[in-house]
Amino acid sequence: MSDKTAAMVSRSEASLLAGWSARGIPLAQIALLALTAAALVVLPFVVTGYVLYIANLLLVFVVLCLGLHLVIGETGQFALAHAAFYGIGIYTSGLAGNAFGWPFPLSMLLAGLIAGAVGVVIGAVALRMRDIYLALATFAFGEAMQWVFLNWDQVTGGPNGLRISPARLGAFEILSDRQAYPVVVVMALLMLLLTIMISRSRLGRAFRAVRESEVAAMAMGVPVRRAKITSFGLSAFYAGVAGSMFATFSTYIHPDSLGFQTTILVLTMVVVGGLGSIAGAVGGAIVFGLISEILRQTPSYQEIIYGLILIVFMMYAPRGLFAFIRDKTGRAARG
Amino acid sequence: MTLEVALLFLQQGIASGLIVGSVYALLALAIVVIFKTSEVPNFSQGEMVMAAGYIALYLLVFRNLPLWIVMPATILAAFAGAALFRRLILNQVARANGSPVNLVIATLGLSYVLRGFVRQTGFGDTPRSFPPVIEPESIMIGQASVTTLDLVILATAVVVMAAFFWMFKYTKIGRAMRAVGMNPKAAQLVGVDLTRIHMIVWGLSGAISAIAALLISPKVLMTADMGSIVTLGFAAAIVGGFTSLPGAVVGGFLIGIIENLVGLFITSRAIVLAPFLAIMLVLVIRPQGLFGGRVEIKKV
Amino acid sequence: MADHLLQVQDLTVKFGGLTAVNRFDIAVQRGTIHALIGPNGAGKSTTFNCISRFYQPTTGTILLDGVDVTNMPASNMARLGVARTFQNLELFGELTVFENVMIGAHVHAGQTWRDALSARPAEVVEHVEHLLERTGLSAYRHARARNLDFGHQKLLELARALAIRPRLLLLDEPAAGLRNREIAALDALLTDLCRREGITILLVEHVMQLVMAISDRVTVLNFGTKIAEGTPEDVRNDPAVIEAYLGQEMAHA
Repeated sequence: MSDKTAAMVSRSEASLLAGWSARGIPLAQIALLALTAAALVVLPFVVTGYVLYIANLLLVFVVLCLGLHLVIGETGQFALAHAAFYGIGIYTSGLAGNAFGWPFPLSMLLAGLIAGAVGVVIGAVALRMRDIYLALATFAFGEAMQWVFLNWDQVTGGPNGLRISPARLGAFEILSDRQAYPVVVVMALLMLLLTIMISRSRLGRAFRAVRESEVAAMAMGVPVRRAKITSFGLSAFYAGVAGSMFATFSTYIHPDSLGFQTTILVLTMVVVGGLGSIAGAVGGAIVFGLISEILRQTPSYQEIIYGLILIVFMMYAPRGLFAFIRDKTGRAARG
Repeated sequence: MTLEVALLFLQQGIASGLIVGSVYALLALAIVVIFKTSEVPNFSQGEMVMAAGYIALYLLVFRNLPLWIVMPATILAAFAGAALFRRLILNQVARANGSPVNLVIATLGLSYVLRGFVRQTGFGDTPRSFPPVIEPESIMIGQASVTTLDLVILATAVVVMAAFFWMFKYTKIGRAMRAVGMNPKAAQLVGVDLTRIHMIVWGLSGAISAIAALLISPKVLMTADMGSIVTLGFAAAIVGGFTSLPGAVVGGFLIGIIENLVGLFITSRAIVLAPFLAIMLVLVIRPQGLFGGRVEIKKV
Repeated sequence: MADHLLQVQDLTVKFGGLTAVNRFDIAVQRGTIHALIGPNGAGKSTTFNCISRFYQPTTGTILLDGVDVTNMPASNMARLGVARTFQNLELFGELTVFENVMIGAHVHAGQTWRDALSARPAEVVEHVEHLLERTGLSAYRHARARNLDFGHQKLLELARALAIRPRLLLLDEPAAGLRNREIAALDALLTDLCRREGITILLVEHVMQLVMAISDRVTVLNFGTKIAEGTPEDVRNDPAVIEAYLGQEMAHA
């Protein structure tokens, strides 16, 4: 093997970090995981309610990003209707709780399933298109859905928004961020686990094959159309679950936060974190979620800084934050 | 609804539709000319319109410059700004080793920066009105009511579009743009400077946006969010066929008319929904729009 | 009566006003290597794409082992044991060499949800490793496909196709762009696959050195019509074939 090839191979081996190598998990990763797990467990005992609210919010973003990662990162389909499914999830679990008093595990599952079902239906139609047309069609659907949220007063409360009553399980009610936190963390971890499972499985390989070359995927016997719709439906399911997670610690939802802006926010988290990697999606959610929360206090600066970050990243770290870091440290290590 | 009322609504819808549609047509043209030459859907097109409008407002109201200076100045500023964005920023994004979606995200970044900037300067605080170039007087065309300003808008838009098509078809620059749109590598081989052409295309798109801003601003309340008008531009471009320039114009007029008819015949609440439905319907039934070429089958 | 794994009957393909393939017949005998040659624009790739079901013929029938597959969707062909490579390489660029071949092996894994979510069944991994070794790509298993040099990329596409365990292998210009040393290796590999494992091979090819060396039978296309068919020797000396190729050379002189 030539030097060049050897270098390429070692770089590629290093790149398996994001997807976990077949041989086992290196020590540094185990340490990092243990630390994160410990931090997650200890957190509610040492910080204020506001910090826990932020944590809950970031975990919602993580799940949203994982969903978008599946459809855009793994399968390469630029679907821009994420916020619509998020909204469907919020309203479904909110209403299941409000109107029918369902326990939250059930309403969360229902939120995911209904969002997923709508995703499959829309996907069956939209995924015939490619690239810009798919993006525009899903964008239009997302906006149309927001219009529905704003105008279907009887169900969503329309322009007045919807009051969400506390999530409950039997006699237990979730009345604070602190109480919601364990539920939110567990859900986020479950969804992360699901994502990793899918990614390592034959289904994940089928997604990536479709992304890299639909033609070759077809020749290899991958049912391309079915794979695309499955991936889109899954991403909608994730968004629905994220919505239900939001509903456990929020008391109010308004359609203003369920439009293209939110979809774009999630998209940039995934792209800036690193398109195509799970670590990128999670990292992007956390880093960008924090930035956007911090900047929320100064709305006009928020937009300028946010836009500048996008532009700078696209210019100098085009494969995302994590790839950028990996490249720089990798280069330093090889010296 | 009686036949009389229906006919009245129809005439009003078409008349008002044609006028606002001419502005949508300009917007769609600006979007398509960029997409045709560089395959990038420019999601900051609306903010370009908004920013140009605010520049004009600033020069006119706060610097008290006369209109005949403000207008060309705004158009030039928009041209330069857009061209520079392409040259300094997008070129770098294209050179960097990322996915094609990065260019789109960069345009999104620009839209945020422009919006935040306008809000930051304090201009965008309250909705502002743009002084009209002439005092609008009401005129009746058939049973439809329009203003003299409306007619000026329509006429100007049509003239600008005609000038654009003339340039695109008959000048050297126009030919170069078309060549780049069809096959950038081949265009390079025959001596076309890609960087220069991309800059000019973006500059042109900016200039057209500025003109659209000057035309529409007197009719709407200016806010930092008025860039959302871009959706109508995209709807127009899609209806016309996303890669067709004449299609963009026809699409613009159609969307304008549909928008107004929906508002008159259904409810004003539904007006916002109309462009999204139009986009979805067109993309499902006939994705290449009215004038787009047949959707290409990939050669294996 | 000869045993034909693939039979194409009366194939006609029209694109708008242009007839790319005109009433073409070809029968490929099981366990043989059959080459489809012809000047540029003769309709070879179009025919190929019809057989692999990427194009829909205007009229005609395609029979695989007696079964009519004329209207079968392209993604079903792999399950029927038909694998193909592409003229312009359609690798999964960002995926590793290993993953590329793994995806070829998909077809034989189970079809249930549990199977879909399973990670890497041992037998499949073993099969992939074997193929990588066979094609000399083992050392590159973790390299990204797009980083390989051209010769290795072509081998990867072949390895991926073989992962399907095909009975019919459709190769679209497998030797294009290869150096002599690589063509010789390809010769040996293809001959091996056919003689030892009984894989039937249909290849479209311009590199005459390979065609003449390994083919049992050669069919010649020009302007969408068959102009000659027979052993490599027959075809090499056929006046119609010589004219078709020379005619092309004259036109470009």
